Amino acid sequence: MRIAIAALIVVLAIGIGVLPQFTDCQSQGRQLTLENGRQIPMKCHWTGQAELALAVPLLAVGAMMTGTRRRETNRILAAMGVILGVFVMLLPTSLIGVCGSAEMICNSTMKPALLFMGALVIAASLVGLVRSERANYDLP
Amino acid sequence: MTLTRLALNNISASAFRSWVIFLCVLVVAGFSLTITVITRGAESSLELASRRLGADIIVVPQGTEAAMEGALLMGLPTRIWMPRDIVTQVAAIPGVEVASPQMYLSTLSGASCCSVDEMFLLAYEPETDFTIQPWLISTIGRGLNLGEVVGGTYVFTPEGENIFIYGYIVTLIANLEPTGSGLDQSMFMTFDSAYDVARISYSRAEEPLEIPPDSVSAAMVRLSPGADLDQVADAITRAVPGVTAVKSPDLFLSYRQQTGSLLRGITLVMALTWVMAIVAVGLVFSIALNERRREIGMLRALGATRSFVLRSLLAEAGALGLLGALVGIPVALLGTFLFRNLLMSSLEVLFLFPSVTSILVLFIVGLVLAVATVTLAAFIPAYRVSRLDPATAMRD
Repeated sequence: MRIAIAALIVVLAIGIGVLPQFTDCQSQGRQLTLENGRQIPMKCHWTGQAELALAVPLLAVGAMMTGTRRRETNRILAAMGVILGVFVMLLPTSLIGVCGSAEMICNSTMKPALLFMGALVIAASLVGLVRSERANYDLP
Repeated sequence: MTLTRLALNNISASAFRSWVIFLCVLVVAGFSLTITVITRGAESSLELASRRLGADIIVVPQGTEAAMEGALLMGLPTRIWMPRDIVTQVAAIPGVEVASPQMYLSTLSGASCCSVDEMFLLAYEPETDFTIQPWLISTIGRGLNLGEVVGGTYVFTPEGENIFIYGYIVTLIANLEPTGSGLDQSMFMTFDSAYDVARISYSRAEEPLEIPPDSVSAAMVRLSPGADLDQVADAITRAVPGVTAVKSPDLFLSYRQQTGSLLRGITLVMALTWVMAIVAVGLVFSIALNERRREIGMLRALGATRSFVLRSLLAEAGALGLLGALVGIPVALLGTFLFRNLLMSSLEVLFLFPSVTSILVLFIVGLVLAVATVTLAAFIPAYRVSRLDPATAMRD
């Protein structure tokens, strides 16, 4: 079970880091053009970059979960997983956000994918947390 | 040891088999629920879109039925015109209570004058309208003034900006409830506003909004109480040449047929997946029980009855089915809810997420089906093993 949770978190961390790089508006060649003609990325691009910064520690959490059997360490790693999962969901919704139009790829694909993966990270970490809380000895 | 404890111990003792069955149920339950939600969502969206229009008959120029359906269902911009006199002729036909004209317009594509790209605009006549106007009166207490619009659920005014149509600033007054159809991304305005936009567009837009004089796109017809739908539709077609009277049950018929065949195909795939899952779970159980013959023989030798062994094995299967469904169904629901826009655009179906009550019913039905399926799949191998003589089972 411990290995399954860790493997799921590793896979999700890779998805969280990689997917936004191909599903933001910048990857589709869409940018904002300022009045002076300069082009800047839309905010979904910055969400994608911030998700990359979350994916790295999440990957580390998953990798460390596979290697440790100590109850205390697992508990801390699972708690970190929950916190990182919450931030994965907050970035495309309230912290940075995505573009306004419902038809844009960041809105139809990137945002739901991040919310879905974030929810799975939280659920998997919570299961890990409950298991490590209930165990009286180090996990198998 | 109780039956439940024995079943749970057996599940954790053979981790590989348990994981295989758990994942199998998770995938099948999740997939089946997704298909069911999409099918029901497509049906309810179509019903809601038809109800939102509220017309018993829609009169359009002959040969433009598909364009009208595309505009009203998918929000595809279209330009269809017929003389306005037709509305008066239709209104005079016995059985017609009211005939209200509508104009189908659209914003420009990729033009700087317009904040939205090729959006479907529907203009209505407030004096006769019975689709938008009653809703407006009950919601905001008045009709629309010049330059005001009502939007579908996805239409919004960007923060600190205005909505421009052909260089004309419109004010979004309210949003309609979601229907899962193209109406969610359309805007509604009065005839006066549409004519005003057309007038301004000649000086402010890259291309003017052209509305042919004394023309409308369609007439929405509401029948008098007791009037026969077929008879009135026939009367309209006979009395007014060059038009088609589309009856409400036939509305979106081509779309219904197209979506119906797609959804039937997906349902067939779901049924095949279900059958394959039963076979796979049955095989895994069969292999696992074959390896556990000694263990079961020992249990029987210690006094467990055949019925107890059978029930413990079925409880084991049921628990695995329940666990798989408990995880698979919520994950599928979450995924379907989050990716609903992507599903709509890639499958080209309308989709309205079912209500909480429907979801709860689907959830319970899904759980029962998953447990029943796995128990059924495990029954034959479990029954065969439970019938074995203890001595034979332990010797093998």
